Amino acid sequence: MAQKTRGRRTVVLGMLGTSLDTGQGPHRWTKWRPTVAMCQQDDLVVHRLELLHPPSAGLLCATVQADIQQVSPETQVRPTPLDIRDPWNLEETYCALLDYVRTYPFQPEEEDYLVHITTGTHIMQICMFLLVESRHIPGKLIQMTPGTGRDRSGPGTHTLIDLDLSRYDALAARFREEQREGLAFLKAGIDTRNTAFNRLIERIEQVALQSRAPMLLTGPTGAGKSQLARRVFTLKKTRRQVSGPFVDLNCATLRGDAAMSALFGHVKGAFTGALADRPGLLKQAHGGVLFLDEIGELGADEQAMLLRALEDKRFLPVGADKEAESDFQLIAGTNRDLQAEVERGRFREDLLARINLWTFRLPALRERPEDIPPNLQFELEQASQALGTRVTMNKEAQTHFLRFATSAEGRWSGNFRDLNAAVLRMATLASGGRITRDVVEEELERLRAKWQPSTPVAMGSGSDRVSEVLGASLAAELDRFDRVQLEDVLGVCRSARSLSDAGRLLFARSRAQKKSVNDADRLRKYLARFGLGWKDASGRDESFPDDG
Amino acid sequence: MLTIDGSKGEGGGQVLRTALALALVTRTPLRMVNIRAGREKPGLLRQHLTAVKAAEAVGAAEVSGAELGSRELTFEPRALAAGNYHFAVGSAGSATLVLQTVLPALLLAEGPSSLRLEGGTHNPAAPPFDFLAKAFLPLVQRMGPRVEATLERPGFFPAGGGRFRVDVHPAKLQPLDLPERGRVVRRAAVATVSGIPYDVARRELDTVGDILKLRPDELHPDELKRGIGPGNVLRVEVECEHVTEVFTAFGSRGRAAEHVAEEVAREAKQYLDAEVPVGEHLCDQLLLLLALARGGSFRTLPLDGHARTQIDTMAHFLDVKVSTREVSRGVHEVEVRG
Repeated sequence: MAQKTRGRRTVVLGMLGTSLDTGQGPHRWTKWRPTVAMCQQDDLVVHRLELLHPPSAGLLCATVQADIQQVSPETQVRPTPLDIRDPWNLEETYCALLDYVRTYPFQPEEEDYLVHITTGTHIMQICMFLLVESRHIPGKLIQMTPGTGRDRSGPGTHTLIDLDLSRYDALAARFREEQREGLAFLKAGIDTRNTAFNRLIERIEQVALQSRAPMLLTGPTGAGKSQLARRVFTLKKTRRQVSGPFVDLNCATLRGDAAMSALFGHVKGAFTGALADRPGLLKQAHGGVLFLDEIGELGADEQAMLLRALEDKRFLPVGADKEAESDFQLIAGTNRDLQAEVERGRFREDLLARINLWTFRLPALRERPEDIPPNLQFELEQASQALGTRVTMNKEAQTHFLRFATSAEGRWSGNFRDLNAAVLRMATLASGGRITRDVVEEELERLRAKWQPSTPVAMGSGSDRVSEVLGASLAAELDRFDRVQLEDVLGVCRSARSLSDAGRLLFARSRAQKKSVNDADRLRKYLARFGLGWKDASGRDESFPDDG
Repeated sequence: MLTIDGSKGEGGGQVLRTALALALVTRTPLRMVNIRAGREKPGLLRQHLTAVKAAEAVGAAEVSGAELGSRELTFEPRALAAGNYHFAVGSAGSATLVLQTVLPALLLAEGPSSLRLEGGTHNPAAPPFDFLAKAFLPLVQRMGPRVEATLERPGFFPAGGGRFRVDVHPAKLQPLDLPERGRVVRRAAVATVSGIPYDVARRELDTVGDILKLRPDELHPDELKRGIGPGNVLRVEVECEHVTEVFTAFGSRGRAAEHVAEEVAREAKQYLDAEVPVGEHLCDQLLLLLALARGGSFRTLPLDGHARTQIDTMAHFLDVKVSTREVSRGVHEVEVRG
């Protein structure tokens, strides 16, 4: 109320109370009549009252109008007959009020709206509440309360109720707490430190709870797309936003005719072997969440049918002549560049447009080295549960493992899948549940061997760090000879913890032959030839803390 | 611009009304802060807004902060316009309080004014119309200006709907001295009932008659037959040679008629026993008149918080000296010198 500027008017939409507001003789003044009392408040001025009333209550309406004029000359009363045959019928009442509200010339810049809910049938009150809550009426509720004790004959008091719950401090605090819980839940309780990743999860939580539109999760294999999809579903389920199940499918496992049938179902006799009706995964996911991983692997027919299912919530099962219905939320996963797939004619452009409204790219584990320690703890707990015994890792072993894991050598090409496997292997081999440095050392050998074939750094077809770092024009001036070399050096720098770390890796042979004593200096000089520093080459502000 | 802290003294609507009245009279730009601070519903309430709006009209004033709940108000009168005014204040405000706000300025205006006021004429916590007409305005007339008030229709809380006219013919205010009230020439107890049993009036008069030792011909039941809202007012009028005082109490639902009578009788008795001319409510209003006249004196009961607040508020606008002294036990003399 303190914010009100002069000239702002207060307008009340209210229903005439055909029992509470009644009274004709002088004694009506001894009775508490909410609609009249509302205009007698010493701390509220109603400038205009839109008084909705049944056409049959014209006489009562006239009395109330005259009385309001007397007690509150500031109030303009506008009686509006509203023909509702059965004011206890929700559908009829809501329709009538909605029609009224739709044509009402609201001017929220100049007027404050209050909806009076003390009078009218409970159904009318509920409908008014719904109209305010859905912002069809841009205002607050007003509720009258009769006076007590000595003030019994007075107009009583009023309460304004703002349905915008975020305005209440205590509630806002609870919402924040719920959101924090939601975020922690999406991160599987792992206290991740990578700010980009945390921001991503915040965004996902917001979208997951506000929208039913499709979501696209991209990122390298093993980055956690499928786990995240399942957690999004569970979060929505705890907030009662889904009623159906979580259905997931890796599209890469579908081949040929079976694909159509698995996704959209078939009817008995649709093809040889179709001995009974099969509902298909889309049907199963009705009311729930369908996660299609590796969606880029879907064939052209399946893509077309999926698009129809998304747009119309209908699709045709194999062999059926009647369409099936299913209302589900799609989460798609891919490690491919779907835009490139569209350009190559392998993915439908319209389907991509439909599913990439919300695209979230999950980073590779290597891109968030600071999250490896908390994830290691998480995997240790998971392994403990899987093995049924408490598995611990002593500090020395942990330091050793993490130094490797966060160095350039830790390629983590399979991302969380690799980390999960590594920890599970170490846990299995740990005698007495204690992972020692020896066990770690053995695991590191295994990992090195696993990642060996991919060294030296493969030149990805799409990767062009040189122009990224130098800018396209400078990069174009380089000889191919230099460019290939620089590309590889930059790749190593990107994944290295520090200049020294990168130097060690790049000059490993010289180092073994003791030809060079200062790898870091050699690298720095090489980079300087292109006008680059460590910051440019690594893409990071500072080196990851060296805990070695 | 003059700044007044509304939380000082009684801290209620009285400070606001007096300040507005004097801002109009003296054409002083006024800024009021902490309006009704510390009250259950702080800031301007509806009844205060009606007073501000009336003052705004009479003084052609520039006003800001005149909103419900506002704790700060600026009021800059531009010109004092006598003339015809119609103020409809509804039942949440008292029409007599609105009159108190604008009357001092109209008493001193260039030409005559005619006011039509609508709303509550007999509200608790406000001077009832009878007090204005019988106690206050006759003193105003003695100081110079001619003022006539006519009740057209009473309006009780909560229905309101009352109406009265006030005609003002300005004149220079002359100092007034009221050292004594003189002989009591008439006493009357009037019990007004509207829309409630006549018996209530009877019981009130019996009780007040007993306590004040009134004769039967001094007891006047007054039953309003017209269809106005329910209401009950009991008043005791004491007319003396030099002054008339009016004491009032209001009946309300659940309050025994005898209690109403005891309340008004106690107040009247205290006044009669003290043998002063001016009672508690008249004192506040008379102070303002004497300050505007720049002189005068009267004897009254011990000054209460309201009177002190009135003196403090006046001091912001008018260069007058108000001195008080106890002349005998329970009798105080107030002297105003300009």
